[in-house]
Amino acid sequence: MATAKNARHHVVIGSGVSGSQAADTLREREPDARVTILTLSSLLFYNRYDLPKVFRGHRDWREFLAYPAEYYKDHRIEVRRCSRVAGVDGPRRTITLEHKEEIRFDTLLVASGGRGYLPEELAEFRPLMHPFASYTEAVTAASLVPDRGHVIMLGGDMIGLDLARTLIDTRHRVTLVAGAQTFWPHEVSDEERPGLIAALEKMGVEVIESHDAGGIATIEQGAKGLSARRVLFKDGTELHGDVVMPFFGLSPSVEFMLGSGTDIERGLLVNPALRTTCEGIYAAGDVCQIWSDAEKRYRFFYGWKNVRAMGDLAARNITGGDEPWVPAQDEKLHIGSDGKIQSPFWEYH
Amino acid sequence: MGEIKPPSAAPGAAPEQREYLSDDPRDIGWVKQNVPCQAACPAGTNVPVYIREIIERQFGRSYETNREANVLPGILGRICSRPCESQCRHGWPGNGEPVAICHLKRVAADMKDAGHRITESLYSPTGKRVAIVGAGPAGVAAAHDLSLLGHDVVIFEREERPGGMLRYGIPEFRLPRDTLDIELHNALRLGVQIRTGAEIGNGEGRIPMAKLEKEFDAVLLATGCMAASPLPLQGDWEKRELRGIKGVEYGLDFLVQMHRGVKKTVGRRVAVVGAGFTALDCARVAARLGAQEVTIHIRTAEEYIPVTQEEIFEAKREGVRIKGLRTPVRLTAEGNRLTGIQFVQNRLGGWRAGGRRQAIPIEGSEFHEPCDTIIIAIGQQTVNDFLGTKLELDRWGNVRVGEDGMTSHKGIFAAGDYVNGASTVIQAVGHGRQVAKRIDAWLMGRERRKQVVRIVPVAQPLRERAFDFIPRQHMPTAPMDERMKDGDHEVELGLDDKLAFEEAKRCYLCNLRYQIDVDRCIFCRACIEVAPRNCIKLVHGVEVQEDGAYGRLLETKEWNQVGAIWIDNNECIRCGQCYKACPVQCISISRCELTEVEV
Ligand SMILES: Cc1cc2nc3c(=O)[nH]c(=O)nc-3n(C[C@H](O)[C@H](O)[C@H](O)COP(=O)(O)OP(=O)(O)OC[C@H]3O[C@@H](n4cnc5c(N)ncnc54)[C@H](O)[C@@H]3O)c2cc1C
Ligand SMILES: Cc1cc2nc3c(=O)[nH]c(=O)nc-3n(C[C@H](O)[C@H](O)[C@H](O)COP(=O)(O)OP(=O)(O)OC[C@H]3O[C@@H](n4cnc5c(N)ncnc54)[C@H](O)[C@@H]3O)c2cc1C
Ligand code: SF4
Ligand code: SF4
Ligand code: SF4
Repeated sequence: MATAKNARHHVVIGSGVSGSQAADTLREREPDARVTILTLSSLLFYNRYDLPKVFRGHRDWREFLAYPAEYYKDHRIEVRRCSRVAGVDGPRRTITLEHKEEIRFDTLLVASGGRGYLPEELAEFRPLMHPFASYTEAVTAASLVPDRGHVIMLGGDMIGLDLARTLIDTRHRVTLVAGAQTFWPHEVSDEERPGLIAALEKMGVEVIESHDAGGIATIEQGAKGLSARRVLFKDGTELHGDVVMPFFGLSPSVEFMLGSGTDIERGLLVNPALRTTCEGIYAAGDVCQIWSDAEKRYRFFYGWKNVRAMGDLAARNITGGDEPWVPAQDEKLHIGSDGKIQSPFWEYH
Repeated sequence: MGEIKPPSAAPGAAPEQREYLSDDPRDIGWVKQNVPCQAACPAGTNVPVYIREIIERQFGRSYETNREANVLPGILGRICSRPCESQCRHGWPGNGEPVAICHLKRVAADMKDAGHRITESLYSPTGKRVAIVGAGPAGVAAAHDLSLLGHDVVIFEREERPGGMLRYGIPEFRLPRDTLDIELHNALRLGVQIRTGAEIGNGEGRIPMAKLEKEFDAVLLATGCMAASPLPLQGDWEKRELRGIKGVEYGLDFLVQMHRGVKKTVGRRVAVVGAGFTALDCARVAARLGAQEVTIHIRTAEEYIPVTQEEIFEAKREGVRIKGLRTPVRLTAEGNRLTGIQFVQNRLGGWRAGGRRQAIPIEGSEFHEPCDTIIIAIGQQTVNDFLGTKLELDRWGNVRVGEDGMTSHKGIFAAGDYVNGASTVIQAVGHGRQVAKRIDAWLMGRERRKQVVRIVPVAQPLRERAFDFIPRQHMPTAPMDERMKDGDHEVELGLDDKLAFEEAKRCYLCNLRYQIDVDRCIFCRACIEVAPRNCIKLVHGVEVQEDGAYGRLLETKEWNQVGAIWIDNNECIRCGQCYKACPVQCISISRCELTEVEV
């Protein structure tokens, strides 16, 4: 079915949870509109929180897809994969892709999520680390860890700790170098922390508090015949492992929005209806910082339920709605009666 | 030296076969429009020429080219705010990242021969005496030029050593003091007398302004912005004096004292308030003094901090964190010891005059953050009480100067931050030079130098198309343990020979003017076919601007209207493809550079 003449063109940047949900809602609410998703990803939308499965031997990408390919055809959602948005001109309502193509939009939803944050002091060791944010990265990391191999996990956000659960379960050894970002995105008080760390240790994770060891001095390639990676601390402590995986939370992917006419602090700043400061441009998911009337500050809301609800809300507001954001999930991290850590962040099964 | 060419040259006329000087406003206008880095540099540095000299490995010459505009290349090659780079054609949409103009300046300074000799020609002595107050970059640049012009110059500086904020503000890990000393020495070597420890002012041990006015033919005030702006707080804190509270520091004073040799310490948790050079430097110094947690609190967002991205990144590598959208409203203290800061949350507002982003506080959004030390670095102001004579000020409290650089008081001139408010080193240098020229004109009763364009035919394109795809080369930096161990260790190590050569090749050499001789053109369109951009246009005319420079091209697609085939030098990236493709060699290249001649 062709798109009606004069129909609006809704463009969504990002094919993650929020972008995909938004496209779905946009299609449902405006059957005649043109809906386009632009994404860097080479795969269609897949659930990233399923990625620990690669360590259980699931390596076929088809298993991870959220919808069959026909879904996009049936819903007339155009997905442009491997397309990097390089810039957005808000007043002119145009997007420039990296290869210089310009795309006009009537409304734009930025759902570009976040990428793994690496503290700047560790930036020089980036080539020696293995991130875990995409299917390809997960497969690469998994292929480097032998049976019962040893993973050194830096930071230990909830994405990493989720993977740690799988790793322990599959009889790998995990050493966590804990720091300020451990348990991200949960904010953990000084009183709660020791109990949570103890729970991790009980789970089988070996924990080193980075601060107690003076911080990381260097990360090196292991010598021949030894483990592939060596982490040295300032107090002389050494760790040897097969891979070093950074898990320091996410930082919003906003660089292409600089100069677009939208306000940015760390993420795109939006009002409770998810509108940015530039007309016609909305944001949802990990990329946006929403004004919270209750807390009187801009803040991020993480977790897959939140992110999906944001995508849905933005699409409804783009198509005539005017509803405010209401968080869709609880944020509390706690230790269950079985002594295990429980987080709403992990409740996706 | 060539002769001055009378204004002529209709659009597309055949260029001359030899070098000549032109004072045709169209040629001067062409350079100003087409060499954006030079136009953006407050000192007017001839960037493409010095970069070309680096490609030719003539580092000494490259250094001298720099020095013609700016007497402190080794210094600016390290700490310049780089207004040129944000205008560089290589950074225009679709062209990639700007050329590392500043890093290349450092290359010229660092790689010149150890025995490099400075070349400068002197005017004969005029017998006129000029006093300069302040040995910061503005005072030094002016002193240099005035002494070159034959005047007798004495600088009065209240600190023990010259340099102004270069020495007492900017930390050594960004600007090694041997580089500073050598360049200051070379700038002042032509007979400038410098009296340090000599404060102009009223009262005990100071030299009154009246004395200078009596003994000199002209006085130049270049005293910078020496007072840290106070932190505006609310409620019971509004009127409270902060200086006595343990844990409260003013950033400017903190650095000045440290550089005078006072041992400074900070607490475990340091909060820096402010978003400029001083704030960043204070935070990085605090990290070196052993603070565990250093956070810079800013009113708007990181995007609007007026320091380079590289510097922000290096500060973060050293452990400094930046938090946005907050303004301090109160401090908290136990007895006389600071315990924290209460902030109010902001949202971003419109733009303030001067291109700064506004922050609007949100009512009822106060929150508290604990800290042991606060370093206040929200700005600097001029101090005028040393004058004795009343000078007219503008509404920001800066001294008002006329077109001729003179204050409301005859014979007293002013330059640098003292006039412009806290700005940048290159702006101070540029302004110092500009005012020196005005002082010279005033003392001598006429302008002695004027601007012309030197036009030099170039036999072939100086670039390869492949150069356009070289990525910007990154500055190597010192390993973290070295820089933190010895707080003065220079962080940026400088581009090595190979990196420098790669980076220099990236420059388009915007001073090259590609022109088509329409009379010889056979309209084969070969050039258009090989052009990488929409740079060669079929036009039916060209607008001429008020100053006589060429303006907008009037393009046409109709063949019967084509009056000329015209290279749009604004679009042109000097790749040389068209030159190589033209079967009848009707494309010519000339190098156009601004220079000064005696009149
Ligand atoms: C390995 C992993 C495991 C996780 N596990 C959990 C979990 O257990 N529970 C949980 O709640 N959350 C989890 N998360 C976080 C969760 O995935 C995110 O909160 C969620 O994916 C955010 O969705 P989003 O739509 O905002 O952005 P994302 O899912 O990050 O999607 C961003 C999209 O934008 C695209 N994009 C980015 N920049 C550009 C550009 N310049 N041009 C074009 N496209 C661009 C990307 O290609 C991507 O398609 C996990 C994340 C990861 C990486
Ligand atoms: C911490 C810090 C970091 C900076 N970093 C950078 C940077 O990286 N890049 C950049 O471009 N700019 C930077 N700046 C700004 C830059 O240093 C100034 O804009 C520049 O130095 C101004 O030059 P000036 O000659 O006008 O004044 P100043 O450099 O301030 O010099 C004024 C001189 O006058 C002297 N003086 C004042 N009063 C008297 C008196 N009564 N009698 C005698 N002498 C007097 C002072 O002692 C001083 O030596 C920084 C500034 C600070 C404070
Ligand atoms: S390309 Fe070279 S000449 Fe052109 S603006 Fe940039 S630095 Fe200047
Ligand atoms: S040199 Fe010629 S082909 Fe290359 S950009 Fe300039 S006009 Fe175009
Ligand atoms: S290649 Fe030469 S002759 Fe051909 S159109 Fe271009 S300028 Fe004219």
